[in-house]
Amino acid sequence: MRTPQLADATGTGTAGLGNVIEVGGLRQKYGDFEAVRGISFTVPRGELFALLGTNGAGKTTTMEVLEGFAPATDGTVRVLGLDPVRQHRELRPRVGIMLQEGGFLGDLTVAETVDLWRGLSEDAGRPVTLSGGTELPGSLTLFGRVRGVGRATMGALELVGLESKARTKVRQLSGGQKRRLDLALAVLSRPEVLFLDEPTTGMDPEARRTTWQVIEDLRAGGTTVLLTTHYLEEAERLASRLAIMHEGLIHTYGTVEEVVAGSGDTIAFRLPGTTWSFGDLPAPDGVTPTLTYADGGTEVVYAIAGGQPETRAHAALRPLLAWADEHGEVLERLAVRRGTLEDAFMRVVGERR
Amino acid sequence: MRTDVLHAVRLARLDLTLVARNTTVMFNVLLLPLLMAWMFTQTQTGADIAGVSGELFVLTGVPGLMLGFAVFINLVNSFTARREELVLKRLRGGQPSGPAVLGGAALGALALFLGQVVLLAIWMHRTDGVMPANVPLLLVVAVLGVALFGLLAAAFSGITPNAELAQITVLPVIMVMMIGAPVAYPADVLPGPLGVVSNLLPVTPVVEIMRTAFLGADHVSGSGAALGMAGQWVAALPSLGILLAWVAVAALLARWLFRWEPRHG
Ligand SMILES: Nc1ncnc2c1ncn2[C@@H]1O[C@H](COP(=O)(O)OP(=O)(O)OP(=O)(O)O)[C@@H](O)[C@H]1O
Ligand SMILES: [Mg+2]
Repeated sequence: MRTPQLADATGTGTAGLGNVIEVGGLRQKYGDFEAVRGISFTVPRGELFALLGTNGAGKTTTMEVLEGFAPATDGTVRVLGLDPVRQHRELRPRVGIMLQEGGFLGDLTVAETVDLWRGLSEDAGRPVTLSGGTELPGSLTLFGRVRGVGRATMGALELVGLESKARTKVRQLSGGQKRRLDLALAVLSRPEVLFLDEPTTGMDPEARRTTWQVIEDLRAGGTTVLLTTHYLEEAERLASRLAIMHEGLIHTYGTVEEVVAGSGDTIAFRLPGTTWSFGDLPAPDGVTPTLTYADGGTEVVYAIAGGQPETRAHAALRPLLAWADEHGEVLERLAVRRGTLEDAFMRVVGERR
Repeated sequence: MRTDVLHAVRLARLDLTLVARNTTVMFNVLLLPLLMAWMFTQTQTGADIAGVSGELFVLTGVPGLMLGFAVFINLVNSFTARREELVLKRLRGGQPSGPAVLGGAALGALALFLGQVVLLAIWMHRTDGVMPANVPLLLVVAVLGVALFGLLAAAFSGITPNAELAQITVLPVIMVMMIGAPVAYPADVLPGPLGVVSNLLPVTPVVEIMRTAFLGADHVSGSGAALGMAGQWVAALPSLGILLAWVAVAALLARWLFRWEPRHG
């Protein structure tokens, strides 16, 4: 589904619950360079919204405005109905942040880092409890005991599979392990809103799965999540809705279903012989195929983007099969493939490059 | 507010832990100033200055130098390194507010500084049998001095591109303090313009009030006349005023120059 820049014209059924994140006409400049060029979207309570996009599209910039690191150059931004910069104080205890990179004190151990964050949360009136609220995966009965490391800290580390590293200096962690620690810190205080900037970049497949589970559990518990990622499967698996950004603009926006539908279906088959041309083949709904000649045969591909996403492939197939019957041909290796998120992504990038 | 105080205390404790873990910092912050204190005393053995022994005169002035090391150099280093490693950004994006992060750093530095002043006091008591005459005044001037040099450190970290270059950006300040501060001799004995400059330096009122508070005698005007408690406060008043003005200037500088995040491109 391609829409103009005002993305939330859809009026989703959850609107009554209120939008936790509201971005309207956001522009953000670094000096003369405009990194974000007027984007709008909303995230209702309890939803996970994924920002996809090319490198330098402005995802991190958008996140950081929402996190209150810098005031917006133009446009409005609200998180839980509050201004992230001017009402940072009220907002801070209710928000969890996972930055794209860095920011640890290398001389602290993993457990000390978690302890520090727990302490800071407690000071802000947001005690870290392991019971109540969201069910945490990673059974609580499995607590390992490490000397000098408290139960709550151990629990946070188990959540992300770092319990064996409790007494390791943060400096010595691998890239993926740092990412996991980062996640543990971000979710420590059960935030109402969670900002995750490329949470699984650098994680191994197993850690990625654990991370997805942690995020899904929090979301099921009512946390609203804004996430950026370069992994399309991650967005597909986690997101209620998503937007694809490129050069400071949102080009595609909607539910995964809607975005995928916008990328169209393909019907592909092979005909024997290399004498076929466009004129010989039918054009269902005016769609002409692309032909490739190889190995004494002709590969035929129809890209079907218009019409009803639910029924268009079926509708296009009918005249093709009728044509085959009529001409006594067989559509060899006939394949119908639904569009993918990747198709949608490539289209955004392709159109603009 | 309460949250900010709790955060600042927690971050100050963190800083002290990290200082204790880092031998380089331990040496630069704690040992080096004491070593210098000893060297300075060696230049003044025997001579009496403003009515006290040279050694005592120097020791009561050394806290001025310690502000340069335990507070200024220490904080320029830590602000710069933490900014470049995105620690400041992460802290401020987490629970603590900006003032709490800066306050925590200042509080940690204050603890280090007071620790050194206590060591000096013990040293003075051992060698000269002197007890600090006015502890409240000592504390007030310590707090103001740390605030002043903490803010200056915040400002200087802003013009320091990375942690390695911090050694260089702090140099001018440290040089001026070593030469201009009235540690080994009163500001007024410096020849002509140097004396004027010395009297304008932010470290000078700190040293003069410290000395007055330690010895219970007027070392602000330089007369060395013995004073009662009230007299000490009155004598210190103009210098406290100058100090406050400097704190305000440093706060403006810090506001202007301090950065929470590395500069891009
Ligand atoms: N502090 C800064 N100063 C100047 N330019 C910046 C700054 N931060 C980001 N930019 C520029 O703004 C643009 C958007 O950057 P941003 O980090 O938001 O991209 P992104 O979508 O998060 O990219 P990636 O997927 O690579 O993380 C880029 O062109 C980047 O060079
Ligand atoms: Mg980014």
